[in-house]
Amino acid sequence: MNAPIRCLAPLALLGLLVAASAHATDITDAALLQRGYYLATAGDCVACHTAPGGKPYAGGLPMPTPIGDIISTNITPSTSAGIGRYTEQQFSDALRKGIRTDGKHLYPAMPYTAYAQLTDDDVRALYAYFMHGVAPVDSKPAPTRLPFPFNIRLSMAAWNLLFLDNKPYTPDPARSAEWNRGAYLARGLAHCSTCHTPRNLLMAERSSRELAGGAVGTWLAPNITSDANSGIGNWSEQELVDYLKSGHAHDKAQAAGPMAEAVDHSLQYLEPADLQAIATYLKTVPAQHDAADTQPVDSRGAAFDGVADQRGTALPDDAQQWSGAQLYDANCASCHQASGEGSFDGGLPPLFHNTATGRARADNLVLVILEGIRWTDASGVHMPAFANDLSDQQIATLANYLTRHYGNPAATVDAARVGMLRVGGAPSHLVALARLALAVIALLIVLVIVLLVRRRRRAGSAGKA
Amino acid sequence: MPAPLSADIVVIGAGIVGALAARRLARQGASVLILEAGPRLERARIVAAFRNSPIKGNWMAPYPPSPWAPHPIYVPEDNGYLKQAGPYPYPAEYIRAVGGTTWHWAAQAWRLVPNDVRIKSLYGVGVDWPMTYEELDPWYQEAEELLGVAGADDTGSPRQHPFPMEPVAEPWAMRRVRERLAPTYAVVANTVARNSRGYDGRPACVGNNSCQPICPVNAQYLGINAVEAAEAAGAKVVPNAVVFRIEHDAKGRIAAVHYYAPDKSEHRVTGTTFILAANGIESPKLLLLSASDKYPNGLANSSGAVGRHLMDHPSTSLTFYADEEIWLGRGPQSPSSINTLRDGAFRSQHAPYRLDFTNISQVLNVTNDLIKEGVYGTEFAKQLRWRAARQINVKNVLEVLPNPDNRITLSSEKDAMGIPKPEAHYSIGDYTRRAAEVSKADFAKIAELMGGTGLRYSAEGNFANNQHITGTMSMGNDPASSVVDAFGRTHDHENLFVCSTGVMPTAATMNSTLTAVALALRTAEHILPAKKAASVNASSDHKASLA
Amino acid sequence: MASEDLDRVAASRNTLVDPSRRRLLAGLLTAYTASLIPWALAQPAPHADRGAFTALSAILVGRQVLDTALANRIYDALVAANPHFPTDVQALLTLINERHIDPQQLQGVLDGEHSPLAPLPRQILGAWALGVVGSGKDARCVAYETALDAVIVADVLKPPTFAYGVYGSWSAKPNAEE
Repeated sequence: MNAPIRCLAPLALLGLLVAASAHATDITDAALLQRGYYLATAGDCVACHTAPGGKPYAGGLPMPTPIGDIISTNITPSTSAGIGRYTEQQFSDALRKGIRTDGKHLYPAMPYTAYAQLTDDDVRALYAYFMHGVAPVDSKPAPTRLPFPFNIRLSMAAWNLLFLDNKPYTPDPARSAEWNRGAYLARGLAHCSTCHTPRNLLMAERSSRELAGGAVGTWLAPNITSDANSGIGNWSEQELVDYLKSGHAHDKAQAAGPMAEAVDHSLQYLEPADLQAIATYLKTVPAQHDAADTQPVDSRGAAFDGVADQRGTALPDDAQQWSGAQLYDANCASCHQASGEGSFDGGLPPLFHNTATGRARADNLVLVILEGIRWTDASGVHMPAFANDLSDQQIATLANYLTRHYGNPAATVDAARVGMLRVGGAPSHLVALARLALAVIALLIVLVIVLLVRRRRRAGSAGKA
Repeated sequence: MPAPLSADIVVIGAGIVGALAARRLARQGASVLILEAGPRLERARIVAAFRNSPIKGNWMAPYPPSPWAPHPIYVPEDNGYLKQAGPYPYPAEYIRAVGGTTWHWAAQAWRLVPNDVRIKSLYGVGVDWPMTYEELDPWYQEAEELLGVAGADDTGSPRQHPFPMEPVAEPWAMRRVRERLAPTYAVVANTVARNSRGYDGRPACVGNNSCQPICPVNAQYLGINAVEAAEAAGAKVVPNAVVFRIEHDAKGRIAAVHYYAPDKSEHRVTGTTFILAANGIESPKLLLLSASDKYPNGLANSSGAVGRHLMDHPSTSLTFYADEEIWLGRGPQSPSSINTLRDGAFRSQHAPYRLDFTNISQVLNVTNDLIKEGVYGTEFAKQLRWRAARQINVKNVLEVLPNPDNRITLSSEKDAMGIPKPEAHYSIGDYTRRAAEVSKADFAKIAELMGGTGLRYSAEGNFANNQHITGTMSMGNDPASSVVDAFGRTHDHENLFVCSTGVMPTAATMNSTLTAVALALRTAEHILPAKKAASVNASSDHKASLA
Repeated sequence: MASEDLDRVAASRNTLVDPSRRRLLAGLLTAYTASLIPWALAQPAPHADRGAFTALSAILVGRQVLDTALANRIYDALVAANPHFPTDVQALLTLINERHIDPQQLQGVLDGEHSPLAPLPRQILGAWALGVVGSGKDARCVAYETALDAVIVADVLKPPTFAYGVYGSWSAKPNAEE
């Protein structure tokens, strides 16, 4: 693998020099840089390529997957620790094919399968930005080390053969320009399907179930197809635009967890026309229905004051004994109001007619109670975190109170599940399974060889008899 | 696990002042122990307690006293803890618990104006402080950045650096007051420790209108935030530790403090340096209690000034109906005031004052009035809406001069732990009463500008207490007339410091908490200088935590 | 006589008085007291004493008493404090009926006559309006956000401790309905 690259290296260097001198003025053009900056925001590169408290794009963020942590790389233009030596072609290959300069494959935690949609012009603008618009940081983060057999990056080549569609986006002439722009963004830079499309056992997106719902760690990335019950079918385009812009669609939903990050870092900065385009596209994604959703997930529940008939009753000394209504009164009602009706303009949202309580599973509800919603921009804390204030049992009691009165009563949790969500999920068996599978295959191969050898021997001895 | 019984620094009192001094010292590497007489409290429980309480108008209702660490309660009846010797009552309210009294304040976080520290030299009244405003300025800045203070410029207190935050958004009611009172009066946004944006991991205000007795959402800085910051810096808090005696050695150095646990077992805590931060009443009480053969008048009391010069900011007020609907109760409780009367040549004749507009919802007051008046039937709802929409209250915040006869002493009555209760001797002098009289003209003018009807002045001779307990351990350069020096060190005991509103030798016109915090930070620096410049520490902390 | 009068009153105010309510009203109210509450009672109380309390409450607070759960809690609390409460309620209703006392004049009349019923209207209004029963050390909270003082202004204000809205939302003009 290395030999061809060694030969190519001087050529590549020459190519770099040629490219640099030919495009010297182009690549630092202010308008191009600005465009690259906008596209990088749309692609939300900063979200994965920046560690908490770290310098932008310097990498080091561990992303937990069922097969271990994948650690993001330094994509600043540092020549020692980042991509400072990348040519535009190499940048494009990483972005759209998942191939590094040394020819090794990237894991699809880097959503190159989505970025494969990017046009050459957009890649150029991004390249310009990352080479000339980002401050170089000379520290290299820890490398990704996945357990056997997933550390064999070559396996990604086979995976890409199976699952990578590496053609840039081709506009559909039957659709409007706005729809095409929305499809380009949603399938490409905004990479919605990376989270919202379910994956198969080999962890590839199931393209027949586009946006039918996926997972990001412990968070559910919900169904955002045009299904009226399970998805966003009964949302107006304006509601979609509001959600993408502000993380909040009135009387419907609020972004939390990884989606709050996506809005905070990326979507809130998109141009109104682009947000409208994405909304237009989303409304046409084929409906995928989850049987568990017997009515729209944002239509459940009603105003209910569970503590009114207990006013004046002394609270138990032991807070672990508090009822759901008492926990709600003490912790939630201050913003969400006594009957869950929210503030006058819905800015502090009602808890009924809210996807947060209306889904068939209550995991996201538990997570938002644990983690709150906190943006990194000046808006700061949208909702406080209760992980340090409430125990697993209290959160379970509270969550069940909320889904019972304001949402889907079938969505219940217990303290054990809250505890599992609190620590980031149940341990995955995928690594063990993969190794077991390999061991079984190895054993089978050995068995086959043994059987063949014995047959040959018998045939040999039979012949001699 | 047994509580540790020794530390470099022992702080008595886990309120906002003691906790921020403790935090600063812990960050310099000292081992710090904070002993608090009362228990730990939980915000959520306080919120629920308020809603379930039959008493909605008194801020102490969600803070029942502990039997071992009582604090004064007056409603529904006086619990007889703070004895009143008169001639004028001093019904201070404070909270003995981890977090202290600022669990229920309106977060008014004002600086003094420069002339406040020189009223003797300038106006011939009161005393001068042993420092200049310029010396306090950087400590005010550090305090404001720790608390997260939002304020308007030009309220009379010069500053070197901007406020950490923009002023809190103005409620409609206050906008109408400001618009209609201009240009006769300049109404400005209050300087408050309340978030006008996300700050330090805490949300912006969402207008719960219950700053007193509790901010349910942590948008207002409370003493409990200071305690948590101190603990994060390494300080250890021991709750339910009622210190009843400060022990000194033969040379007069403080050797240890003694505390009771709720079961009345005695515990001794040793240390190198001791900081008394148990509010302006409990601290002098403790100094007096610690009298010994060597110090028969109590510790730190060679001047005889411990407990003396008790001050507060008394208030009189006017309530009236504006001629338009403004609806108090939307947004935070204390948004606006008039600051132009805090200083001037008149201070040689009468007290200065601030004029405060409240934004506390008037619904409770109005409902009580209607019940009292016997308004029944369909008139009830009509009147409730009409009055709640229009009722305004304006009050003065008056300066009281230091008077040695106004003092805290030990009562002959004892509390459940056998500790003498504090006793307040207090009067309000003519200097202050003249100002109250003068302010009536302001009240009347304000009512006129608002088209006021139904004017109701507070009862003649009746002054409300504002819980700003100052003066009882005054600072000064002369050990013969003061308790602590300019850095809060007691004159009599080299290793005993006081961090409290009680060290303020004059009260000025502003709520005393920010000044006490600034002085405490200055004291902490004096005890153990920071390795880096003080303001860099505070602001870089907050920039990191904002990331 | 009561039945026809009620029909006339109801007709004059275009309100519907269904048969079950009419039966209840007939037992409790005369034409006069019915005129003080020109709206139909929400639903019949199961019990004559509670019904009388509900009717008197409606007269005193000047509104339809919709919150039957709260009505029961207040009633139980007031009876617990004073076993004669049901009798007192009936007596006051009767007084209002017989002398056609306007609610606006009621307290003045009772005070002027040093009536033993004088404290009663305040207790009842206080319970509904403030959500507090009893006074001093015996005071008990029975309602907060459902107390009338919160309900009557609920289009403009949230009760203290409940957030008004997102930061800055209080700068806008109040959204009072007229």
